Amino acid sequence: RSAPSAILVSPRQKGNPILTHIRSLPWEYSEIPADYLLGTTTCALFLSLKYHRLHPEYIYSRIRALAHKYLLRVLLVMVDIDNHEASLNELAKTGLINDLTLMLCWSAAEAGRYLELYKGMEHATPTAIKSHAAASYAESLVEFVTTPRSVNKTDAVALVGAFGSVRAAVNARPEEIGLIAGWGEKKVQRWTSTVGEKFRVRK
Amino acid sequence: MSADSNERLPVKLSLPLAYQQDLFHELRSEDELVVLARGLGLLRIVTNLLHSYDAAGGNLIVVVGATDRENGWIGEALAENAAISASPLARGLSVVNTDVMTVGTREKMYARGGIFSVTSRILVVDLLTSLLDPEMLTGVVVLHAERVVATSLEAFILRIYRERNKIGFLKAFSDNPEPFTTGFSPLATMMRNLFLRKPSLWPRFHLTVAQSLEGQRKAEVIELEIPMTDAMRDIQNAVLECVEVSMKELKRANTGLEMDDWNMDSALHKSFDVIVRRQLDPVWHRVSWKTKQIVNDLTILRGILQSVLSFDAVSLRRYLETILATNAPPPGSNRQNQSPWLFLDAAHTIFDTAKRRVYTGTGDGKGVQHGLPDGLRPALEEQPKWAHLAEVLEEIERDIYFNPPIYDGSNGTTLVMCGDESTCRQLREYLQTMHVYPDDQNEGNDERESTLDTKPSATYMMRRKLRNYLRWKKDFAKVSASLFAENQKALNSSTDPRWGNESYRGKAPPNKRRRVRGGSATVSGPSRTANGSIQITEDQASHVAELLAEVQPTEAETKQKHEIAMDPLEDMEDYYELFEVNDLVIVHPYDGDMDEYILEELKPRYIIMYEPDAAFPRRVEVYRSSHSDRNVRVYFMFYAGSVEEQRYLSAVRKEKDAFTKLIKEKGAMSVTLTLDGKGVEDPQEKFLRTVNTRIAGGGRLAATAEPPRIVVDIREFRSSLPSLLHGRNVVVVPCMLTVGDYILSPNICVERKSVKDLISSLKDGRLYHQAETMQLHYKNPMLLIEFDQNKSFTLEPFADMSGNTTSPPDLQSKLVLLTLAFPRLKIIWSSSPYQTAEIFEELKKNQHEPDPVKAASVGLEEGEDPTGQTFNQTPLEMLRKIPGVSEGAARRLVLEVGSLVELSNLEVEEVNALIGGEAGRQVWRFFNRSVFD
Repeated sequence: RSAPSAILVSPRQKGNPILTHIRSLPWEYSEIPADYLLGTTTCALFLSLKYHRLHPEYIYSRIRALAHKYLLRVLLVMVDIDNHEASLNELAKTGLINDLTLMLCWSAAEAGRYLELYKGMEHATPTAIKSHAAASYAESLVEFVTTPRSVNKTDAVALVGAFGSVRAAVNARPEEIGLIAGWGEKKVQRWTSTVGEKFRVRK
Repeated sequence: MSADSNERLPVKLSLPLAYQQDLFHELRSEDELVVLARGLGLLRIVTNLLHSYDAAGGNLIVVVGATDRENGWIGEALAENAAISASPLARGLSVVNTDVMTVGTREKMYARGGIFSVTSRILVVDLLTSLLDPEMLTGVVVLHAERVVATSLEAFILRIYRERNKIGFLKAFSDNPEPFTTGFSPLATMMRNLFLRKPSLWPRFHLTVAQSLEGQRKAEVIELEIPMTDAMRDIQNAVLECVEVSMKELKRANTGLEMDDWNMDSALHKSFDVIVRRQLDPVWHRVSWKTKQIVNDLTILRGILQSVLSFDAVSLRRYLETILATNAPPPGSNRQNQSPWLFLDAAHTIFDTAKRRVYTGTGDGKGVQHGLPDGLRPALEEQPKWAHLAEVLEEIERDIYFNPPIYDGSNGTTLVMCGDESTCRQLREYLQTMHVYPDDQNEGNDERESTLDTKPSATYMMRRKLRNYLRWKKDFAKVSASLFAENQKALNSSTDPRWGNESYRGKAPPNKRRRVRGGSATVSGPSRTANGSIQITEDQASHVAELLAEVQPTEAETKQKHEIAMDPLEDMEDYYELFEVNDLVIVHPYDGDMDEYILEELKPRYIIMYEPDAAFPRRVEVYRSSHSDRNVRVYFMFYAGSVEEQRYLSAVRKEKDAFTKLIKEKGAMSVTLTLDGKGVEDPQEKFLRTVNTRIAGGGRLAATAEPPRIVVDIREFRSSLPSLLHGRNVVVVPCMLTVGDYILSPNICVERKSVKDLISSLKDGRLYHQAETMQLHYKNPMLLIEFDQNKSFTLEPFADMSGNTTSPPDLQSKLVLLTLAFPRLKIIWSSSPYQTAEIFEELKKNQHEPDPVKAASVGLEEGEDPTGQTFNQTPLEMLRKIPGVSEGAARRLVLEVGSLVELSNLEVEEVNALIGGEAGRQVWRFFNRSVFD
């Protein structure tokens, strides 16, 4: 089956408010076993927890109809009740048994956005989550220095500004760092011990 | 409790005061929670108690919750006590605080017995693996009992201990009463967590305490209320105004939240930013960027508030400039997404006034008199406390001279106590140089010559600081140029010679050029950028040069320099060196319980509290009352009407209120505690589990007497989940795992992520890597997204989302990418650790139990030792932040390079050899790139 450019929606979903939130991509009705077809190998079932509480058997019949089709089977659950714990516990187990990936959303708008995202990124490569996002030198510098607790951006700039380079800042003696305004003893101690600490704990 | 009264007799205690002795006897006879007012010497009581057990020998006692410094103090005190009592059985304190000690060593140490202070994370693992058998313990001493909340590691430890050992003692201590008073019947809840029945409260106004501290002659206290200078008051008021506006902004942006406490009163308190942060915490991942920004601003503003009082004028100016450089909005941004306080007139006042305290520009007449119409003159305002300090010291000197001390057991030492090490440094320098004067050739200063000999002044120190500042400023301009290029572009245009004194900023369109009336008057002080935010006006280079020339060391100053090795760095190693010539004055920072030690050691006759501290006066009282033969006079300095004063008063009041509340609750508390608590298995439940009636879907009939088992990564013991699992009668097996955090069955492997972790690990690619390895080794890899108890259970931001898929990837789209990349990865959503524990139980049903040995070996290379895989988290996190370091490179670097310091000192070729050309160059450049160019 060739992938259509639109999100295919099962007629069962007619009247579902989330359809009005699919705006940036086209969608059309089509007879499919799932609720939404989001790519050649990706489909989604939609479940509102409110409905699930009234008709707990519904979702299982839908899962059965899905059989073993599709590679990624998303169960898009809308959390629209307060006491969601029991239902979610059950769905977590169901997801494990029936090979469904659980995605939670809290509003129709968010649900619509998830559907758009799945369809929109059908062919996307996972580079955005695969490695560190490129940032400017200043950004990565500040991020690096502010990793130990309680060191903030101002401290970071003051530190590197006082020593000239990250290398010098890393090698600086605690007494030298202590002279910088804003760097109290605790901060200094935390910084020097962190950069000097061995990566590996040797036994 | 093997130590009976006969063995206790030879033990010598160092508890001279009545309340200390009462407390000690109470503690020897029963288990209780002791809440003692700050400064009354909690650690002294703890060490004496420990010593009494230590001296008896044959005990195995664990101290839980001690910090490193407390460990040092307890260890020293125990050794000292052992020497005094000459008890042959005492072994002192053994500290087990890192993973460095091997399992074998720890086992041997525990077997030998004695007193141990163990880091909670190690202790819980040792107890679970029975490396330290709970039944062997004589008792447990808990410090910082206020931290033992239901989900904490300490509570977990106590539960394991009480579950297996019902006869050992358990004593908890706290000198922080405030946390016991928040929430619903907080004391009772705390007592339940601690498995204790009896709270024992010791406020300062306790009868015995009051009697023992006030019975004899009290310490002489002289309060010195020092007025702030006008400039200081202006800055403080301006900061408070900024705080108020920021708070208003917060309230407007987050209407749904409880914000009654967000008023100026709490703003004066030490940690108002922390309070606000805690209030926002439940929704932190959902609040708008702006709210986060404002909360961040509050921290900065609090920092300024403190610095006005403690920093000298030049350091303050320097600090403010750094703040401005890092927080100033890039030109072109609008008010909507920037810190609101930077747009206020008050912010202008802060920066302007701070600058005028250092040097003044033209317009005040001074320059004209000097023959330089638009020059800069150093103003160098001194902190008012300095002069008073000098005065007090002089008075003391006179006092010693006229009333020669009769021998009374104290040294003639004068002790100056102040807030932190940097204030100490400042005071030391001031005291050293207050009688040094630059040879001023300016005729305008002639009349000062006559008073030179008597009046101390900080001129010398301030001039030195100003020189350093001006030099630093030049470098710093380059730093912010290379880091915040955009900002700087705007800045530079102001010093463009063509524009002279006009404060035109680069980014404004030419037709909107803002000319400022009165030309030269605007040279000093920050002005506004085109978008209306504060921007420091750069002084003209020539003026700065003049100023620098003006403060060049004069003859007298250079001479001075050699005499007193001005570089404070040289003196740091053993700063007593500094006072060898004059060991009458010692400057020391407040240091919690260590202050007691200082007092005992120095036996000062005069104490000057340069900054107020709530606990220190009590320490002096305790010290004074413990030695009937010593006289102490205390000078207590504070700025009138300052934040410092307010803070001191509110700290005292808060503690008192907390104790009053605690006493009330104690009176009304119902004592229905069962010593066993939860976590002890109900036999009926055990039976029901062995016959599992749920055989749904033709599952296996699990008729096993074996309790359910979950393998947990050792690093996960930082979270509360293992504790909760244990509470649900699941056997928690701590293991060093390379893949996954929790192994539920041979097939199910779970990686736990809090929302915060989720965001960061999606950002740096760690989660992708983890999902990859999980998928490789387990049939059912699972990602657990765990929200915090009490935090809102949603990812949806408050701000509305545009349906635009091209916007920078947010959390939702990254999650979608992750599931697309790993279709087999299942996601568990849990609103709290409690729910997670339930879900885990559900998932484990009808599954085989996991094998810890196998789980530990998964993901390791052939022959790799799992114990070599313990990493220190923070350095590792920092490593991952370096550009060019991928997950693979990080693994490689961690194995080959020792630490960040070592990595930073590698040559480019060496890094290249490790992680390849491109990445290697990036890493090397990150460290070696100079921010000056």
